Amino acid sequence: MSSATVPAATALTRRKPPAAVRRRRFLLAVANHSLLIVAAIAFLAPFVFIALTALMTNSQALSSHIWPHPFRWQNFVDVFHQAPIWRWALNTMIYACLATLGVLVSSIPVAYALSRIRWRGRNVAFGLVLIALMLPPVVSVVPLYVMWAKLGLVGGLGPLIIPNWFGDAFSIFLLRQFFMTIPEEYLDAARVDGCGELRILGTVVLRLAKPAIAAVALFSFLYTFNDFFLPLLYTRENPSSWVLQIGLSEFRSLHQVQWNLTMAATLLVMAPVIIVFFLAQKAFVEGVTLTGVKG
Amino acid sequence: MTEITVPAARAQPVDRTRAKRKAAWRRRRLVLLLMAPWLIGFSVFFGYPLVMSVYLSFTHYDLLSSPKWIGTANYRYLFTQDSQVGGAVKNTLWIIAVMVPLQVIFAFGVATMLARARRGVGFFRTIFYLPALAPPVAATLAFVYILNPATGPVNILLQHLGIDGPLWFQSPGWSKPSLTILGLWGVGNIMIIFLAAVLDVPRHLYESAELDGAGPFQRMRWVTLPTISPVILFSVVIGVIAGLQYFTQAYVAANVASGQASQAGDQTVNNLGYPEASTLFYPVLLYQHGFRYFNMGYASAMSVMLLLVAFTVTVLIIRNSRRWVHYVGAAK
Amino acid sequence: MRRVGIGLLVALVLGAAVIAATARTTANAGTSAAKAKNITIWVGWSAAELKAFKGVVAEYDRKHSDVTVKVVGGINDDKITAAIRSGKVPDVVSSFTSANVGSYCNSGAWIDLKPFLSKDKIDVNMFPKTSQYYTQYKGKRCALPLLADVYGFYYNKKMFKAAGLTSPPKTMSQLTAYAKKLTKKNSDGSIKVAGYNPFLGFYAGNAPDLSAYAPLFGAKYVDGGGKSMISRDPAWNRMMKWQKSLVDWYGYKKLQKFNAGAADEFSASHAFEIGKLAMMIDGEWRVAFIGREHPSLDYGTAPAPVDDAHPELYGAGYVNGTIIGIPKGVKNKDEAWALVKYLTTDSHALAIFSNGVRNVPTTKASLSSKDIKPDAHFKTFLKIFANPNSKTTPITAAGNAYGSLIQAFAVKYQAGHGGDLSGGLKKLDKQIDAQLKQAQAGGVP
Repeated sequence: MSSATVPAATALTRRKPPAAVRRRRFLLAVANHSLLIVAAIAFLAPFVFIALTALMTNSQALSSHIWPHPFRWQNFVDVFHQAPIWRWALNTMIYACLATLGVLVSSIPVAYALSRIRWRGRNVAFGLVLIALMLPPVVSVVPLYVMWAKLGLVGGLGPLIIPNWFGDAFSIFLLRQFFMTIPEEYLDAARVDGCGELRILGTVVLRLAKPAIAAVALFSFLYTFNDFFLPLLYTRENPSSWVLQIGLSEFRSLHQVQWNLTMAATLLVMAPVIIVFFLAQKAFVEGVTLTGVKG
Repeated sequence: MTEITVPAARAQPVDRTRAKRKAAWRRRRLVLLLMAPWLIGFSVFFGYPLVMSVYLSFTHYDLLSSPKWIGTANYRYLFTQDSQVGGAVKNTLWIIAVMVPLQVIFAFGVATMLARARRGVGFFRTIFYLPALAPPVAATLAFVYILNPATGPVNILLQHLGIDGPLWFQSPGWSKPSLTILGLWGVGNIMIIFLAAVLDVPRHLYESAELDGAGPFQRMRWVTLPTISPVILFSVVIGVIAGLQYFTQAYVAANVASGQASQAGDQTVNNLGYPEASTLFYPVLLYQHGFRYFNMGYASAMSVMLLLVAFTVTVLIIRNSRRWVHYVGAAK
Repeated sequence: MRRVGIGLLVALVLGAAVIAATARTTANAGTSAAKAKNITIWVGWSAAELKAFKGVVAEYDRKHSDVTVKVVGGINDDKITAAIRSGKVPDVVSSFTSANVGSYCNSGAWIDLKPFLSKDKIDVNMFPKTSQYYTQYKGKRCALPLLADVYGFYYNKKMFKAAGLTSPPKTMSQLTAYAKKLTKKNSDGSIKVAGYNPFLGFYAGNAPDLSAYAPLFGAKYVDGGGKSMISRDPAWNRMMKWQKSLVDWYGYKKLQKFNAGAADEFSASHAFEIGKLAMMIDGEWRVAFIGREHPSLDYGTAPAPVDDAHPELYGAGYVNGTIIGIPKGVKNKDEAWALVKYLTTDSHALAIFSNGVRNVPTTKASLSSKDIKPDAHFKTFLKIFANPNSKTTPITAAGNAYGSLIQAFAVKYQAGHGGDLSGGLKKLDKQIDAQLKQAQAGGVP
């Protein structure tokens, strides 16, 4: 280290570092940026390939050509004729929206009780929530399947949606962590005004926790939209209940379906999530950070 | 918390305790109301399956007639005679020992690069995060196509470079690495968390390290890593739990790569684990036994073992973490 | 407080709506109306084939005015099992997976049809022996056959003429020789046209559990005592050695690349149909596909070639089929039986249906029925079906689970990772026996 600047509190103006150091720093920044660009290309490449294949004819998709010749926009229309995409999309929306609503309605009260009210057994309950978080859902599928079969609900979306109306461990965890950061003064002020606890929850807390609630809603929606395992278990034998993910995975096995259409369908399935992301970017990133940093 | 204050200055003990008890009762009723959905959910969707799984694991049950008690026969078969279990366990261990660390390291690497960049951070961040949004089914389908040994773009590019590309998803030796590449493509979630954590490392720590003569790698080793160690722990735990349940990508990849057009209901060919059981992970095998063969007692035995392993591994990791995780200030 | 209360109310209403909506998607059970009885039948067919089936059922409806039949297509075994489990069963069910008859009969999921057969004085010998076999388990007959699938040999006549070959191969060594002659390579060494692709898993003819090849070598799966005898029957040894040697001749990786670049089996660019494959073993349904998609293709059909050591087996092939039965818990048993009887024993119905889906009709009488639309190619398969050496895979109480074990080993052996063949087959026998025991929970059938 040559002439290092003194890192004193008063050193607001620093001496410019010598040319050698500046050059080295510049080269490092360039190298860093180049790596970033290479990485970005690598991350984007799959999307590009999918898009290109989605525009090819079938025989081209099977050949070693990378660039479509001609561009077959018709593929995106054909996809809808080959498979009941709209029905799959409807099922997916039913599942995702009702499940997300259920998660919010059931998890917010629980998170509130676990964070802002003192009661005996609160820590035990929270510990149980954490344990439930660690449980791989694969472990509980067999008895749950038996239960739903006995109730006659296998084959529909019921077994997928209903459990979400009884609390979701991850959402409870996230909301509870956030609720704990709300200063007690806001709640006390409301209490002094004569609000009952439930009213406080419904008005003050909900308003203050908007970012966390938005994050939970987003995550729930994303998770259920992308869910494959549970729909596979419960609706695989009932094509009228298929969601987009199941339909997409079975797309190739319908008679006479080709890679170009499959890729077009893949793009269509990816699109909604990406669009939602761009619309709600801030909430997304905030939410992800919430989980990691507070977790 | 919700207390009724006695208006008179002189305390009236009896009224006050009765009031306190009433308040406490009201509080309990409130808590019960708020916790009700979760209480039901926990018992029905967590407690009940757990108990039932254990019970069913000691029975032979095919969903067509009532369960038949057979004692430890399922466990004996699981540990000594099921020829596929050994491979399934090894495959899942591979995920945990290879894919998860690679994902964490890669996410950290990309986050570090992003943290250093001056321009276009938002743009790059979006690009790196986008693949994590892609539904796993769609992403897997895309990768099976892209890594097609004969007509996929990757092998074609390699061919132009004079390299004879591997068989990717068609080769038992390359199928797990192919899945790992797919997994690395989707590290956006973890990367964002790492990025936030790396940006949060206090400047002055770096500066004092620099003063003490630490080079860039030493700064990373002694400043960055310890400071973000809680995040590393978080990603590792999440990664391991996800690895123990790794199912969707394996199922879809095997299904699509094996190229078998299955008519609705034609199950005479079993594609799970294609090729050569290299993608037969423990959850996939569990699914096969429980929902293809309807051997539900045996599948329950498998799930009980998985639960024990998941619990043990998580406890071990967290216990071990005390040695290398530093919680700085109020970060936790 | 009130807001939360309303919220909960809304939630409850939505929840109820969800449950109602989802329960609706499960099928109806047969209900007995006052006048005409309604019965429901579940089948696996869909699209064009389902239409053909509905046509046959419509004829039945016309002949029986006291019953209306509702047809539900696209069914698979999971749905059947779920329905039986939940008690909401249709009156008649049918499955493509004849291998599952063992578990259906064994567990009582499908009821015993013997009382009905004896009441109506139906002799089971009206069905070919193989079809009899895959519709019962240990004497308990819980199903009847409803059209079968037969595997035979397809060869490209144009390519044969160009190579100077006049007739299809009758033995495996001939097949190997022809395959080598008919194969064409690209300049970079990759396969342009494959004479015969023996790669396990490539199209239906190469079922990875070797089931399509087993009857051609006379390979036996179980001995008289019910124990797996794959290592003790030399036919398996010969079969796997032959298969691997041909794969090795092409080059394992080269074949993989060929397969990866081949079109989907049920697409119009099927490798055989577009001339990338000279010979193949496939099911009888392929005749209808070629007729629809590539009517100008100059091809021939014949029985598949057999093991050189057993030339007497020539004319045989692998058989499996659709099975039909009555699930446990059905109330209108007599009406259900009447429909089953019509579909499985009426020659006219079988012939019409066979024409529609081009599967093989499953009674000896219907095989020679005049209603069958003549087709020279299809006739080959009818002959194979009638051959006494045509076999299906063994029925066990565990369905086709043993097939997965065979598949696992065969695929590894083909890739060269299987090690010593005899040792591997011995281990395979042990695994199959253990698995069967486990599936039967202690061995009591």
